[in-house]
Amino acid sequence: MTLQFHPSEPNHVPPELIVDFDMFHVPPGLSDPTQIWHNLVREGAPKIFYTPRNCGHWVFLEYEDIADGYLNHEIFSTHQTPIPPIEPFPTMQPQGMDPPEHNVFRRILAPLFTPVAVKKLLPELHRRSAELIEPLVAKGRCDFITEYAERFPTSAFLHIMGLPQERLADFLRMANTFFRATDEAERAANLNEIYGELELMFRDKEKNPGNDVASVIVNARDANGHQHPWNDILSCGFLLFVAGLDTVTNTMASVWRYLAATPSARQFFVEKMNKPEALMPAIEELIRITSVANNPRRIAKDCVYKGITFKKNDRLLLVATLANRDPKVFNNPQTIDLDREVNAHVAFGVGPHRCVGSILAKREIMVSLQEWLKHMPDFWLADPQPPSTMFGGTVMGFKSLVLEWSKEAPK
Amino acid sequence: MKVSVNLEKCFGHARCEDLCPEVFATDPVEGKCVIKNSEVPPELEKKVILAVRNCPEFALQLSESEAEKS
Repeated sequence: MTLQFHPSEPNHVPPELIVDFDMFHVPPGLSDPTQIWHNLVREGAPKIFYTPRNCGHWVFLEYEDIADGYLNHEIFSTHQTPIPPIEPFPTMQPQGMDPPEHNVFRRILAPLFTPVAVKKLLPELHRRSAELIEPLVAKGRCDFITEYAERFPTSAFLHIMGLPQERLADFLRMANTFFRATDEAERAANLNEIYGELELMFRDKEKNPGNDVASVIVNARDANGHQHPWNDILSCGFLLFVAGLDTVTNTMASVWRYLAATPSARQFFVEKMNKPEALMPAIEELIRITSVANNPRRIAKDCVYKGITFKKNDRLLLVATLANRDPKVFNNPQTIDLDREVNAHVAFGVGPHRCVGSILAKREIMVSLQEWLKHMPDFWLADPQPPSTMFGGTVMGFKSLVLEWSKEAPK
Repeated sequence: MKVSVNLEKCFGHARCEDLCPEVFATDPVEGKCVIKNSEVPPELEKKVILAVRNCPEFALQLSESEAEKS
């Protein structure tokens, strides 16, 4: 098989731009996994550098370049991007397509995740969040990751796709294997299982359309009035399955970890709990500071960017947490300021590939905070925590986060 | 004060709508910013300025209204 998208040998990279850096390696003793990136800045790494790890990729350290990486799709493609490279790699619709082809599925999804569309989901999101949180209250302790942060986004996924809530255990298991398994055979079987479920779902929604996202995707028509290619429909379902789960899980993990350690922040949120307009800017600030998702790109053609030679198929990682703490753009960028007024962060990317589910993701966090703080306004980190729970990669986070609270009802 | 949007640059973050729903909405089909009232009432000026400064795409611009120019 010809490897069409494989990077060439990095002979074009000058030695002064090479840094030995492994994005998957989180050394012990860091306060949180984003610090692997901020340490590079502190240590004076070049603002555009190349690491030979993970089959080689570039990293931008500054906001200006990272924003270019999101916006300039003629150089920085989202098509066939994985780091380390995998071929063949399934092209997810619309994320894995560059404009203008990208617009076909983007136009199907965009109306489904606007503020008004997401607002209609809120009552059911509250109900599902409460259903998961209420049984925890009397326990006084939980692993926030496995007992809430993984469950809620998966439950929300079932709702938006019009799948029955009884399937939660199956979809949790599939998601867990997808995000955690390292064994190649297990991963292949898992992909088959996910695609099998998506096939059944879309076939059902084709015959019995409902008021849900899956029905809209499968029954959408192209400019000639035809259904979109079946593989594209499946890969769009796959994108919605994988993109909205571990990103939300790990953002919530970082947010709850911060709240557990910061009584004044808990107080801040408790006071604003019923005022979404006041809550959202503070949630945006916590999203800026957590920024768990790093987005790979592939260089689309040989080119020179800011004096540096990039070769076609070189990989590049866009690290939002670096952009979001660039002192040229943010005042006191390393400080969490819940009253921050100006915060044009890029945690969801910018440009045509802006995370289509960003508004849903933020509302999932808001709903979860509201439901959690209603029952558990006071909670803290269990001591000790399980060892080495942090992980890096394209989504950074925690494998475990044990929280405790008083079992007595709040005053 | 007037506010306008460059729809070439807007990609539907809806940060403006979160910050000032009185002035900004999101088109239900395109998923992009819609300005409900480009003449900003004085009592909303502070919120609109914040919305402009929080746009991750720098897609919103402020200008003087006709009355202010004269």
